[in-house]
Amino acid sequence: MAETRFLQPQKHISQKVRPGGPSMEQAILRAVNAADDLIGQYQGWAVDDLEKLWQSFVETSRAGRADPDRLKSLYDMTHEARGQGGSFGFPLISVIGDSLCKYLEGRPRLRSRDLDVIKVHILAMKAVFRQGLKGHQGNLSKELHELLGAFRAKVAQQQQAR
Amino acid sequence: MDISTTWGTAPAAAGHKPPMSDGYDFSALRVLVVDDSFHMRELVRTFLEGFGIKDVTVSADAEEAFDLVCNSDPDLIITDWNMAPVSGLEFVERIRRGANVPNRFVPIIMLTGYTEMKRVEEARDAGINSFLAKPLSAASLYKRLVTAVQDKRQYVESSGGYFGPDRRSPKRRDYRGKERRGAE
Repeated sequence: MAETRFLQPQKHISQKVRPGGPSMEQAILRAVNAADDLIGQYQGWAVDDLEKLWQSFVETSRAGRADPDRLKSLYDMTHEARGQGGSFGFPLISVIGDSLCKYLEGRPRLRSRDLDVIKVHILAMKAVFRQGLKGHQGNLSKELHELLGAFRAKVAQQQQAR
Repeated sequence: MDISTTWGTAPAAAGHKPPMSDGYDFSALRVLVVDDSFHMRELVRTFLEGFGIKDVTVSADAEEAFDLVCNSDPDLIITDWNMAPVSGLEFVERIRRGANVPNRFVPIIMLTGYTEMKRVEEARDAGINSFLAKPLSAASLYKRLVTAVQDKRQYVESSGGYFGPDRRSPKRRDYRGKERRGAE
């Protein structure tokens, strides 16, 4: 049987936190305002990052296959876009990135149909930036999530049928 | 399980009443942010400074960050997962098991784009205190910060190799009977 010891930390973060600060709403508003410039710059550098993802895709397409390193690189770039999009005011980028991450995760290699799936996702991200689609855009975020999910499922079904 | 509330609501659910329901002064805190993405760590730093925290150190890699943990003894660590050559998960494990770490109990928030349940459990088993899924917002970060302040869970060291916050559900934490689990 595993032996277990319970320990109470001698030092706790609460010892350095005092009452009397701004309210939660004030603190959050202050933080959002402070990040305004940073968030405003997102689209500029994110488009550059997306171009790198596109180039990696183009090279993969030319080679006609993706080794594990290339696949990991494609996944990592998409994973970054997924985390950053919504954090910087473009949740649609996170929706698309999440869909592509789900598709790529655990895939040992890429086949030609997989390249079509990647292409669709990257082009969708490019369209979001081209149109400047900030925020959830009403129901578009939900619809996009559903549409991409259905697309992935359809491709998976086609691949199983072969 | 809803990952946004797995640990986030734990203190309240365990019956810990927040000592201060609103209006924290975080200015004396020392926070270390580790993320290999320049933009993400700057966003986290900016949010934290917006909350009034004056001492925010950022690091792009876990190796350097581990040295910072040993030398500067932060009150809170916020780390990304997907980093190389040392991942955020290995970084957490090194802190929890490290002999040279001044405070192995330091609260750690894992900030990551990974949201799958197996990842959440993996991070929990490495010894994190809470999990914060990207995309990040100022509100979600603030709530995690408050959770870190209010979370008075005890820590567990088991012969199975785990060191970190008590992972049991709030209900089970109050259990005082015979432990029937065979192994960790």
